[in-house]
Amino acid sequence: MQIRRFKDVLAGRFMLAAAFFSSILVFIIAIALYLRSKPILEAKSLGDLLLGSTWMPFQGEFGFYPFILGTLYVTALAMVFAVPLSILSAIYLAEYAHENARARILPMIDLLAGIPPVVYGVWGVLAVVPLISDIAPVIGKLGIPFLSMESYSTGYSLLAGSIVLAIMVFPIIISISEQVLRAVPFEVREASLSLGATRWQTIKHAVMRIAYPGIAAAVILGFSRAFGETMAVLMVVGNVPIVPSSIFDSAYPLPALIANNYGEMMSIPLYDSALLLAALILMLVILFFTLAARLILVRIERRMTNG
Amino acid sequence: MKNHISIRNVNAFYGEHQALKDITVGIPEKQITAIIGPSGCGKSTLLKCFNRLIDLTDGARVSGKIIVDGMDVLDGSIDVTEVRRRMGLLPQKPNPLPMSIYDNVAYGPRLHGTADKKKLDQTVEKYLKIAGLWEEVKDRLKSPANKLSIGQQQRLCLARGLAVEPEIILCDEPTSALDPVSSQHIEQQLLKLKNDYTIVIVTHNIHQAIRLADYVIHLYLGELVEHGTANEVFENPKEERTRAYINGTLVTDMKTDSEVNLKGNVCPFNFVYAKQALHTLEKGKILKLIVDDPTAVIEVPRGMEADGHEVLSVKQVNKTDWEIMIRKNE
Ligand SMILES: Nc1ncnc2c1ncn2[C@@H]1O[C@H](COP(=O)(O)OP(=O)(O)OP(=O)(O)O)[C@@H](O)[C@H]1O
Ligand SMILES: [Mg+2]
Repeated sequence: MQIRRFKDVLAGRFMLAAAFFSSILVFIIAIALYLRSKPILEAKSLGDLLLGSTWMPFQGEFGFYPFILGTLYVTALAMVFAVPLSILSAIYLAEYAHENARARILPMIDLLAGIPPVVYGVWGVLAVVPLISDIAPVIGKLGIPFLSMESYSTGYSLLAGSIVLAIMVFPIIISISEQVLRAVPFEVREASLSLGATRWQTIKHAVMRIAYPGIAAAVILGFSRAFGETMAVLMVVGNVPIVPSSIFDSAYPLPALIANNYGEMMSIPLYDSALLLAALILMLVILFFTLAARLILVRIERRMTNG
Repeated sequence: MKNHISIRNVNAFYGEHQALKDITVGIPEKQITAIIGPSGCGKSTLLKCFNRLIDLTDGARVSGKIIVDGMDVLDGSIDVTEVRRRMGLLPQKPNPLPMSIYDNVAYGPRLHGTADKKKLDQTVEKYLKIAGLWEEVKDRLKSPANKLSIGQQQRLCLARGLAVEPEIILCDEPTSALDPVSSQHIEQQLLKLKNDYTIVIVTHNIHQAIRLADYVIHLYLGELVEHGTANEVFENPKEERTRAYINGTLVTDMKTDSEVNLKGNVCPFNFVYAKQALHTLEKGKILKLIVDDPTAVIEVPRGMEADGHEVLSVKQVNKTDWEIMIRKNE
């Protein structure tokens, strides 16, 4: 009896400890990163670090601005490609596709999610980059803002990074959105159709209203994947620390900065500290977006239930 | 008597299974037609053929003709949305759209091009009044429709269906999910509406068919057994199967094993007395309760069902009194 009780208490305590540990892990990591990046934070002002655009570790210049913008631009552009396409695909699969077609296409999309990032990277280098280097000068001459290009492009660019990233995000958004759409009760469609609505009207006015929070969640999940994705982007984005002014320019996102440089030339003063600050910034940006997304979701859900 | 819907040689299949077998029958204009028959005989299938909602079922096929106003509904080339607009649907379970009460009723008119706010306001008010819901919701038109009681939701669905100005109202067991008071409410609205609309109602409840129907269609295992005016079919059925079906569902009326009068009792007590009365009965015997408390009409059958007994019928016998028939189970 005693032993049984003892085991129960012990198991309870242990699981509490495990749960507690995993939940504070994020804080531990943040604190560790903060401590390691303290030297550079003491040497430079935060404003200079975040808004400075020169990155010359040998001269002791550590401006993160190009990296932060690089990350935001690649992610944002990838979402611009991925969100409409994957939501439309999900709508097609859930609402229009015949059952047979759906049963064939969905597993393929799930397979897409299982391909290792480095393979996407190689595909990007072999297929996307050359394509962009061909079309960039043509489109670049038209003089459209953000699409300009002087004469020659290697193809390693913001655009290449976001195309590869978008394709990696597709399966997440498609498969979750498709499930969300299919979970919408049949009666809702029946109600709308029986009033003489077309299929598209039914989807737009009735089905989407219910599916909206779920699809928003899918997009947010896609977003967080895109933010942190390193390998594939690093291989095609060019990795030049400048603030991109056109989608054909190279960029240098934060994860690529860390992955490319950590562990090398660590003798440069403050270099180690600077890279860990980059990690901290990346983590905080992702945390911020995830929290914001959560808040939006809660808002949407509350509005849905209260009408 | 003019036919509004003419059904000619209609066959319906779900995959290999034939759900309707060569049905040919007419549905008279501006009358209530009841489709009766045991579960699985194809009543809902027939209704879904009228407004082509059967198209949504993968693997369903329909052949034959269903002529409405000279147009063949089953013809692949017609505009389905127009067919559906002409037929309001009242489902078995109320299915309000995920939006406010107002938007539910305005949904159809908006789809069909009414954008004018004032006109929409008028439409919403008009049809909520016809459905007998206006007084209850006029102060909270903006609140979500799913906050209404089930009975109110069903009247909302009626208003929503009427707002697209159909000529025909299709009801698939419209009261089976409702409490007796709400059911009666819906029945009353339908009786009023038959002056202006052709109404088709699928029902399991033979009493309901007797109360409402002018014309009756009896299906059995996908076949048309009998059709005719309500008088002919109920008083003097030509087919033995119809007679058996009607008697079979009416038979529970005849023999009651015990009767308890709970008039004047309020809620927790009539419930307790009903329980006691059932307790003294043997399994399978039938108890008849008379109640006059409006909450009891809803709560007693619900409670008895929760206890595992079978509620056979609940019906109003005069202005104040309701008769509840319960078969002891368990
Ligand atoms: N989606 C479907 N797929 C396959 N078979 C179906 C489908 N819907 C109905 N059926 C079959 O078709 C027959 C008729 O069904 P239907 O729903 O029309 O019956 P019903 O008379 O409305 O029954 P109930 O009174 O129980 O609602 C039944 O045998 C049923 O099993
Ligand atoms: Mg049915």
